[in-house]
Amino acid sequence: MNNFFNSFIVIIVLLPFSLFIGSQEEAEVYSFEEEVKSQRFYKLVGELRCPKCQSSNLLGSDAPIAKDLKREIYRLIQLGKTNEEIKKYLSERYGDYILYKPPFKKGTWALWIGPFFLLCFIFLWVLLWKLFYNRTQIS
Amino acid sequence: MSRLLHLLPLFIFTLVTISLLIFLDDEEKQLKTALMDKNFPSFSLNTLESPEEIADLGSFEKLPALVNVWATWCVACLVEHPFLMKLHEDSVIPIYGLNYKDDREKAIFLLEKRGNPYLFSLFDPRGSLALDLGVYGAPETFYIDKNGIIKIRHVGVLNHNVWEDKFQTLLSDE
Repeated sequence: MNNFFNSFIVIIVLLPFSLFIGSQEEAEVYSFEEEVKSQRFYKLVGELRCPKCQSSNLLGSDAPIAKDLKREIYRLIQLGKTNEEIKKYLSERYGDYILYKPPFKKGTWALWIGPFFLLCFIFLWVLLWKLFYNRTQIS
Repeated sequence: MSRLLHLLPLFIFTLVTISLLIFLDDEEKQLKTALMDKNFPSFSLNTLESPEEIADLGSFEKLPALVNVWATWCVACLVEHPFLMKLHEDSVIPIYGLNYKDDREKAIFLLEKRGNPYLFSLFDPRGSLALDLGVYGAPETFYIDKNGIIKIRHVGVLNHNVWEDKFQTLLSDE
């Protein structure tokens, strides 16, 4: 029984490392002659979303489509396109969906102003509550 | 009054949730409708059948038509294949294929073995036209109207139910 328990512990401890075994095969290297371009590349693939695996960015995704898009972004950077041009190019094809940071427009404005509205509401609520609470204390 | 104030956060939460549900676009929908009501992107690719022949937008002679993205490595494409054959045999609508990141010989062999529902297939081994179409998985089916405008995009297997739900009314309107 003790033996079983020990091996169980060993498996649990080693389990996380199996992740690394799986990810070793991806070793696609994107080399740039300028450090700035390389930084831009990694910033972009970190900000853009994988269309296939939906909750991952391109950088963290191994899906074939994510690889294709990374290659495409690499190509566009080498062509001298700006970040804005690249984002526009991709969102024309994959929709705003691909941008983790959605643009301000119909359909997303609630997302942008919503938190501020919420904050105002909370302020108001706290204020009212304080006022009311103080008044009941006094009376 | 006090009780009402205590309920205020709940009220606001409900309000925010409902307004987000109403005003936010469905993300999946955004992904699928990026090219909606736009011209089919221009391209210049070889056909699957012949490496010498170059096809472009003008090669889509018969419109309205379907453009179906397929590959031999795509299992779901095999699933929808019989339905495409049926559309082809009943002459419901012309279908053009877009062979996506595939091997030419395997693809030709598959069509010989199982039947070819396409007028012709474009051969896109690097996925260049697929990228312009925003393809993120096969099979995908685009409906192009008589003016060359993309009217429907369906991601996933095309079958009888999907056909009736999404495609049939549009086709009978034209």
